[in-house]
Amino acid sequence: MKFGKFIRKTTIGIVVVRDSLQGEVADNKFGEEFWKRSAVLYLHPEYAREMGFREGDVVELEKDGRTLRLRVLYSDTAPEEGAMMPNSIFSNFLIGENKKRFAASIAPSDGDVTEVDEIVFSNTN
Amino acid sequence: MATCTGCSCLCPDIVVQAGVLNACRKGSSIFMHSKDNRAKPMVSGREVDMEVALEKATEMLSSSEKLAIYGMDTIPLEAQEVAIKLAERKEAFIDDNSTFCLGDFVEMVLRGILPSTTLDEAKSNAYVIFYWGTDPFQSLSRHMSLYTYYPRAGKRQRGYEEDRYLVVVDVRRSHTAKLAKKNARFIKVDSDDALVEGFLSTMDGRAGNYYEDTARILKEMQRGRFNVIFGGLGLKYGLKGKYEKFVEMMRKMNELAEVYFIPAGFHANMRGFNELMFEKTGFVNRYSFDTETSRPEYEFSELVRNDAIDTALVIGSDPVNSLPFDVAQKLRKKNLILIDPKLSLTSKIAEVVIPSAITGVDQGGTMVRSDGVRIKIDPLWEAEWSDRKILNELLRGVR
Repeated sequence: MKFGKFIRKTTIGIVVVRDSLQGEVADNKFGEEFWKRSAVLYLHPEYAREMGFREGDVVELEKDGRTLRLRVLYSDTAPEEGAMMPNSIFSNFLIGENKKRFAASIAPSDGDVTEVDEIVFSNTN
Repeated sequence: MATCTGCSCLCPDIVVQAGVLNACRKGSSIFMHSKDNRAKPMVSGREVDMEVALEKATEMLSSSEKLAIYGMDTIPLEAQEVAIKLAERKEAFIDDNSTFCLGDFVEMVLRGILPSTTLDEAKSNAYVIFYWGTDPFQSLSRHMSLYTYYPRAGKRQRGYEEDRYLVVVDVRRSHTAKLAKKNARFIKVDSDDALVEGFLSTMDGRAGNYYEDTARILKEMQRGRFNVIFGGLGLKYGLKGKYEKFVEMMRKMNELAEVYFIPAGFHANMRGFNELMFEKTGFVNRYSFDTETSRPEYEFSELVRNDAIDTALVIGSDPVNSLPFDVAQKLRKKNLILIDPKLSLTSKIAEVVIPSAITGVDQGGTMVRSDGVRIKIDPLWEAEWSDRKILNELLRGVR
């Protein structure tokens, strides 16, 4: 059972980080590997369990009217209460003046993970 | 040996044969995939001859009345110099990633506000090694093994188990923080200011924030005599642009022992750009050759947001990936020329794409390491069009 389904929406603090696995594939931003390693939200396994999310779930982040769907991955280097994202077009879609930390609302999603092109050519304000 | 330009470590010991030896993941990828995903000359989304792309770019630059030149942190000093000349010729704005990266710290080092040293000195002498707001395990993967924590060198022959004291300051238990076990401290901060205040209180003889940690670390600093703080983006944003207390902390620490600061974690030649600009203008970034000064509103993102430019020349950077979305979105409406060795997200929206070379692979030159040491970089082979040659061509043609 996906308990995350019962979470309607809550706010979460997100730290933007550098990730060497993503850096390894960042030369080809059209590639699937870059997308797989960028369109992700890392949660600490214990925090993910508390929140009701499992690895592989798709979640929707929303901030200031912009929404992103990301794949949940576990990492024990993620904040104990919060999340982290690798620096990329996905994090920069939501980021504000502070390029290292921001808050966004999180909710479970049945949709597909957002693609790079959806952002590049997005008309969202 | 080849030199890797994947980050500001500029690792000089890379062996490129059938495979790549000594490089980190990112560095290996640069050499192994150097021929993949290369940019081609394009105008309005159509592939053209290089001469046509250069001609179109020259025409756009010549007709621009409000030009910004942006990026340049991955190209050699010799090419950065030409880009700066071009900005001067056009009385343009010029800026790089350092405005939102570690430019503030580089500027404080160049102005002598923060005492600094070299990575080679750190390798031979440093005892307390701080990583504050940076996770070198991920962002500068060989920093610790090549220059700081792990080497047995100079006065530090007994290895990290005895001869180094590691301090990691972060908002989360990063991979680097996980190394903080014996002879080490991990300080989880919610506010970097609070830790700075904690050090200041302890040095004033009062028990403040993080007293147990700060008292022990200061004692270790006195014991080690030569200590280095490597500060990253987490520290920059944690201090929210207010550096006075941090500078005061550094000054007071230096009354107890030698404590140096080296900015940690940025593009290969960001510091090179900052140094060239500082030598020429007295400022490190966000500069206008029209008003001959640097202002916050001259930051590239602000110029785009405020419609203060009509044309942007982006060199060796991918702002669509790395800048906030509202900026990337507005950039679509500008006349955009991109010079880059690889296809990137910015190449998707650029009016003109000019393919260039990769420093350390198919172009050589000089770059400045994060500690200010200039490194001569030889290419493995020479591309027909280097950044310097492209920019010289534009400089020659532009009115």
